[in-house]
Amino acid sequence: MIQFFHVYKSFGSENPALIDVSLTIEKGEFVFVTGPSGAGKTTLLKIIFCAERPTSGYVLVNGRNLTRIKDKELSLLRRRTGMVFQDFKLLPNRTVFENVALALEIMGAPFSVIRKRVHQTLKYLDLGGKEDYRPPQLSGGEQQRVAIARAIINSPLILLADEPTGNLDQDLTVEIMALLKRIHIRGTTVIVATHNQELLKGTRRRVVTLNKGRVA
Amino acid sequence: MRGTLLRYSMRRALANMSENRLVHLIGIGTMAIAFLIFDAFLLVFLNINYWIEEQGSSLTMSIYFTGDPDKAAVETVSKELLQYPGVTINEFISKSDAMENLKRRLGDKAGLLDGLEGNPLPASLEITLSKGKIEDFPKQLKARLEMLEAVDEVQYSHEWVEKIQAVMGAVKLIGIIFGGLLFLAALFIIINTIKLAIYSRHDEVEILKLVGATNRFVKAPFLIEGSIQGFLGGVTAIVILLLGYLVAITRIDLRIGFASFDIVFLSPQFILLLLLMSIIVGFLGSMISLSRFFRI
Ligand SMILES: Nc1ncnc2c1ncn2[C@@H]1O[C@H](COP(=O)(O)OP(=O)(O)O)[C@@H](O)[C@H]1O
Ligand SMILES: [Mg+2]
Repeated sequence: MIQFFHVYKSFGSENPALIDVSLTIEKGEFVFVTGPSGAGKTTLLKIIFCAERPTSGYVLVNGRNLTRIKDKELSLLRRRTGMVFQDFKLLPNRTVFENVALALEIMGAPFSVIRKRVHQTLKYLDLGGKEDYRPPQLSGGEQQRVAIARAIINSPLILLADEPTGNLDQDLTVEIMALLKRIHIRGTTVIVATHNQELLKGTRRRVVTLNKGRVA
Repeated sequence: MRGTLLRYSMRRALANMSENRLVHLIGIGTMAIAFLIFDAFLLVFLNINYWIEEQGSSLTMSIYFTGDPDKAAVETVSKELLQYPGVTINEFISKSDAMENLKRRLGDKAGLLDGLEGNPLPASLEITLSKGKIEDFPKQLKARLEMLEAVDEVQYSHEWVEKIQAVMGAVKLIGIIFGGLLFLAALFIIINTIKLAIYSRHDEVEILKLVGATNRFVKAPFLIEGSIQGFLGGVTAIVILLLGYLVAITRIDLRIGFASFDIVFLSPQFILLLLLMSIIVGFLGSMISLSRFFRI
């Protein structure tokens, strides 16, 4: 489903963020990408999401070569791939409902469908009743779940989560991880980037470790 | 899909305009000024053109007599005139008729004439030349008539028209250059207000792209916003021009006392055309602004 072939990524003159990364992730897998801060985890996810382009090498997602993708295809790719950003990327002056609805509005879904799906998804993420709040009025865990809601509302094939437990306490971390598991069980390919080694203890999942841009 | 996009874009455009009211009001105001100058220029230009056309279609000529002509003198000139086809004699105005006419025109200021010794106004024959005559027929006729002893001077409206027509070429050129500059100014204003709008919403633009919006979807609200701004600027200009026009014609009527200047306002077709143009300016401005922003 996702294939990297000798991917390099560098930002200007500094040390490259990714060096000769080749890997394959199968449909329906649950993969952790780990490594110390600055190892290139975020960059890896962004390349899958086509928010960054490889400097060299190439990437296939669902058989599509991401290195030469046009606007139309890019938008289709992103509708099939949900990404939960480390900083959530929610609009602070829009309500929870509006933030989540955005992902359906851009597809031209009728309002009746949008309303139903948004309410369902918010309920699924235990955010029922928070529709009219604005992100700054919510706790970190709630904002995280709003970001996840927006990422999964289109039933994407792939869910990318960047440090989803980044600044959450132990209980919320467990909660979010359980949620990601539930989404995975529905058939979604899930890739979680985290520097938190605690999360990986005793996991039976596949773990890809990055170090200074290389797969260890 | 189309309908949804349009409705969504319309809603976003209006929401953004009301959120950034001041920026938009300033933008609309400055654009209205640019359009107003343009429209006013067009109004003046069209009126001069109408006037010239009107004059050209019915060419009138006044033949002024030397002294106070007797019947025989008038007969002689009339006979001479009737040799030429296409000439109609309208009326003979004697010296005293001319004085009466002047008194009527001056109305309550007629007292000014009381101090005059005798009657300095000439008697005249008013004639009309049918259109479609050879270009220099009026000139030839004028020369021939002025050779007659009874005739002092011949004037025809075409003399003025010819002079103005010569100037109109230059006026047209200045108008095109000036209008072009105003067009660019309006475009520049739109480009900048939309640029501000994009900057103030760049988070939203980024997020829309990240959740899978096409460029078209992201751009549409800005294009609608620019078009609405252009339209409002255009409407404001027309309304101000109309008010100015109404004030001007009542003033002229009051001051001069007779409404021989027939100033015509822009026709509905012209108004529609101008509004369409202002919408196009708005649309084009946002397109340029967006193309600088979207490199993807
Ligand atoms: N937009 C960027 N511009 C410049 N350097 C960047 C950018 N994004 C990431 N980097 C650099 O690339 C390297 C990897 O970053 P990142 O992928 O964010 O690592 P991680 O998520 O594992 O902490 C770091 O050295 C970082 O400074
Ligand atoms: Mg990171």
